[in-house]
Amino acid sequence: MAAMDDREVVDTNEERPPSLAAERLVVLAFTASIVAGLALAGVYSRGGQPQLEGVLLAVSLGGIGIGMVVWAKRFLPGEEIAEERGPLGSTREELLAFTETFEQGEHAIQRRSLLLKMLGGAVGALGIAALFPVRSLGPRPGRGLFGTPYRPGVRLVTVDDDPVRPDDVSIDGVITVWPAGSARSPDAPTLLIKVADADLFGARVRRDWTVGSIVAYSKLCTHTGCPVGLYQADEHQLLCPCHQSTFDVLEGAKPIFGPATRSLPQLPIGVDGQGFLIATGDFDEPIGAGFWDRGR
Amino acid sequence: MTTVAPGQGGAVRRTVRWMDDRLGAASFARTALKKVFPDHWSFMLGELALYAFVILVFTGIYLTFFFDASQAHTTYKGSYEVLRGVEMTRAYRSAIELSFDVRAGLVMRQIHHWAALVFVATMVVHMARVFFTGAFRRPRELNWIVGVTMLILAVFNGFAGYSLLDDQLSGTGLRIGYSIALSVPLIGTWLVSLLFGGEFPGPDIIERLYVIHILIVPAAIAVLIGAHLSILLRQKHTQFAGRGRTEDNVVGERVWPTYAAKALGLFFITTAVLTALGGLAQINPIWVYGPFDPAEVSAASQPDWYMGWLDGALRLMPGWEVRAFGFEIPNPFFPGVLLPSLTFGLVYLWPFLEARVTGDRGSHQLLDRPRDRPVRTALGAATIAFYGVLFLAGGGDVISTTFGLSVNAVFSAFRILLVVLPAVAGWVTWRLCHELQLRDGPPPADESVAVATLSGEPDDGRGEEHGAGYRGPKTESEAVGEHN
Amino acid sequence: MTSGHRHWIAAVTVTLAAVAWVSSAAGSSPSPAGASGPPAPVAGADTAGRQLYLTGCSSCHGVDGAGSERGPSLRQAGGAAAYYYLSTGRMPLADEQAQPRRKDPAYSPAEIGLLVEYVASLGGGPRLPHVDPAAGDLAQGGVLYRSNCAPCHTAAGIGGALSYGRAAPSLHSSGPLQVASAVRVGPGQMPKFGSETFDQEELDSIVRYVQHLRAPPTPGGAALGSAGPIPEGFVAWFFGVGALVLAVLWIGKRQDQNRGRDG
Repeated sequence: MAAMDDREVVDTNEERPPSLAAERLVVLAFTASIVAGLALAGVYSRGGQPQLEGVLLAVSLGGIGIGMVVWAKRFLPGEEIAEERGPLGSTREELLAFTETFEQGEHAIQRRSLLLKMLGGAVGALGIAALFPVRSLGPRPGRGLFGTPYRPGVRLVTVDDDPVRPDDVSIDGVITVWPAGSARSPDAPTLLIKVADADLFGARVRRDWTVGSIVAYSKLCTHTGCPVGLYQADEHQLLCPCHQSTFDVLEGAKPIFGPATRSLPQLPIGVDGQGFLIATGDFDEPIGAGFWDRGR
Repeated sequence: MTTVAPGQGGAVRRTVRWMDDRLGAASFARTALKKVFPDHWSFMLGELALYAFVILVFTGIYLTFFFDASQAHTTYKGSYEVLRGVEMTRAYRSAIELSFDVRAGLVMRQIHHWAALVFVATMVVHMARVFFTGAFRRPRELNWIVGVTMLILAVFNGFAGYSLLDDQLSGTGLRIGYSIALSVPLIGTWLVSLLFGGEFPGPDIIERLYVIHILIVPAAIAVLIGAHLSILLRQKHTQFAGRGRTEDNVVGERVWPTYAAKALGLFFITTAVLTALGGLAQINPIWVYGPFDPAEVSAASQPDWYMGWLDGALRLMPGWEVRAFGFEIPNPFFPGVLLPSLTFGLVYLWPFLEARVTGDRGSHQLLDRPRDRPVRTALGAATIAFYGVLFLAGGGDVISTTFGLSVNAVFSAFRILLVVLPAVAGWVTWRLCHELQLRDGPPPADESVAVATLSGEPDDGRGEEHGAGYRGPKTESEAVGEHN
Repeated sequence: MTSGHRHWIAAVTVTLAAVAWVSSAAGSSPSPAGASGPPAPVAGADTAGRQLYLTGCSSCHGVDGAGSERGPSLRQAGGAAAYYYLSTGRMPLADEQAQPRRKDPAYSPAEIGLLVEYVASLGGGPRLPHVDPAAGDLAQGGVLYRSNCAPCHTAAGIGGALSYGRAAPSLHSSGPLQVASAVRVGPGQMPKFGSETFDQEELDSIVRYVQHLRAPPTPGGAALGSAGPIPEGFVAWFFGVGALVLAVLWIGKRQDQNRGRDG
């Protein structure tokens, strides 16, 4: 109780004249809220409509809110009170008493130091044991990140599992393919790009890995793995919409702008006996975003 | 035990007596009702975040009744013609059904999403208020740490939330998150395997994020809110210097009834703003983005605003990475792991860093006016400029399209601005603070007198207990002295 | 009136005119077969089309589409390319260095029909496609659009940035035949999707979906430009946080304003 008496009134609002207008405002706000609340029930029972629901909710809640604030500002006591803070920290005696009590118990415990050490060991072992269930959360990374399902001789197929002939790619066109049997495999989407003439390919394109003027690159950006879906046919550039890394298709998809540091891996491709495009091997490096030991 | 006045009538009195018989809390409760809160508009910013959190919990509970956090594949056969027959996960399907077939489902989803954006935004605004007024100083360092932790949790939970729906945009965000986690040296591959249950997209991520999003993080935030408010009640709120306001008192309104009515009114107003947005402004139209397919992406893929600075940092980072002996530190590590770690590390440490640099280790109950601490204010402005540029860079492609500029020119410009703008903003702010101090002239006579007399003794007599560093509002001569 | 103002009005006028023209073209285009096509060639199209070509196009593309140093040869352009460039106003081009942008077409639908015939007669290249959006499947169109078109034009079709100042245009003013022609031609930076990539049914579906995107349902309210989280973030800050800060200022403002500097 003593603390209460320390408060002193610093300032009071002037005796405010009863304001009819303010009271009307509060009544109006609450009325709007009531109407909106009821209307909401009506809208809902007639099937609902998101815009009306939102507006009516806003009016019904806002009516209460505005009404309460006006009420508080105009009709509730508004005097300013000064309250002593009082000290936050404890007194020296209290602190000493606490420390003393704590240390007494501490000494009693520490007297059996062997037991204490054993307890520490048991808790530590339990802590280590508690880590093991974490291992259940996922498989060992293994070599999965280093390869894709592409194997020598596997056909390239579209999203609908259809094999692709070289003529199925338009000049200046691009299609996305996967290895047959693993269509939609998340680490295998590959871009087949046909340019007007194989002579356009620069030195960084491995020519023995192309078919005519078709070259295949991993679709996954070497920065954070977004699909590099924007092919600018005129400039022969691939642009990643996530972070704007830009790759030069005619120069082995080397990065020419943005944060990516590595070229998109090129897929070795060929044609099988029936004229369908095949992979002649897997990518010769891990695809997609980098990781610590990808070079090992 | 304190007894209530022995009046017989009144349900309130009977209830109070019943409760007090069991808890004996009447005295404590009365203290709470009579508690004094300083009233300044800026002290209500944190309340806004609290209310947004309450709305998030309520709308979120509603959404959980309909959402199906499963990555199992299914074919949509529902009422939205544009997606009929399309393959998708059950998570995405349930979000579509929630949006089109559940009455009030779409408005709830949109209120939830808007509330999330506003929740983090009001936290940042509140944090800026605390920073610029020096409210983080002793004895409030602990509450600063609690607050920053809540901010990190809120940002993370926002990301987790919009990643659940398994639309194309959220999947793109998850993939970038995966690649950032993958980039951590030594443990990256293990980290993603344990988080995602395998290589991207992995079989488990949505189920796991769901538990984290609706249970673990909200519970943690709720506990921290409790701690935040308990510490606030224990320490009592800070206040600005002014007539009758000293280091030793709190001047303001009592909680009951006026302050409580205003606070409750503000809660309803916050809800009203968010429901209005939820009804009138479309947010995250997942039916436009389509179901997630790891081989696809849409142009203009952006994260929600509070992740924008990270995405911007990823975009602005030059194409460098560290390679040696067959090992490498991939490029996304620097903007994606190092930058946020440094950012939040520095934010956590700020109260202690500032105390060390200024040598001011005293307790402070009176707030600084930003202009009276030009260096801190300038650093704050520079920080806002730095993260502001990163945020804009996160939408660099949208900015390029909107204004018909070259993407490459825009990003090159942002790289320069990232260095130049914080410096300029800091310098301008610093100058402005000094100009404002000069323009203030000496503080009004009655005020300085009031501070000096009501506080009982002159500042320098307080010793270590109260603000050795507190000097009150500056006089003109002091301001000039510092200026020169 | 400020110049910015005038700019606006000009833009609006151009847009309105374009919309009016496109809708009139769309209205007149369905041929008896039910598929959209160019206006039927009139008698003597050869000479009339050639006359138009000689006056308007040959200075860059050369006599009989041979090309010059100012413009490429049109011998392999095909009718689809002629229709796409002329009906979207991208040709004729004022500055041959600039990326062609959509504007008011310089020719009437009938004149465009003549020019399309003439360019088609010059040699190979994709013919003016037939397109019947009603025959397409909206959901299939959505799937194809999101995997093939959204990477550049965005999921909502508002257009997106490409590298070095290039941009994929918004599709919100593109008519069915224009979309179909663009798919087949691959104008500018756009990859080409021939009939070996998309068959007629797939083409119809894509066109139908693009038409759907021009005025999609927005059950959630204002679409905010359909530009995703960036405008959403700005709305959250300006309208959400803005309104709340105003509320807080109002609540924090005392009836009597004479209390201390900060009271």
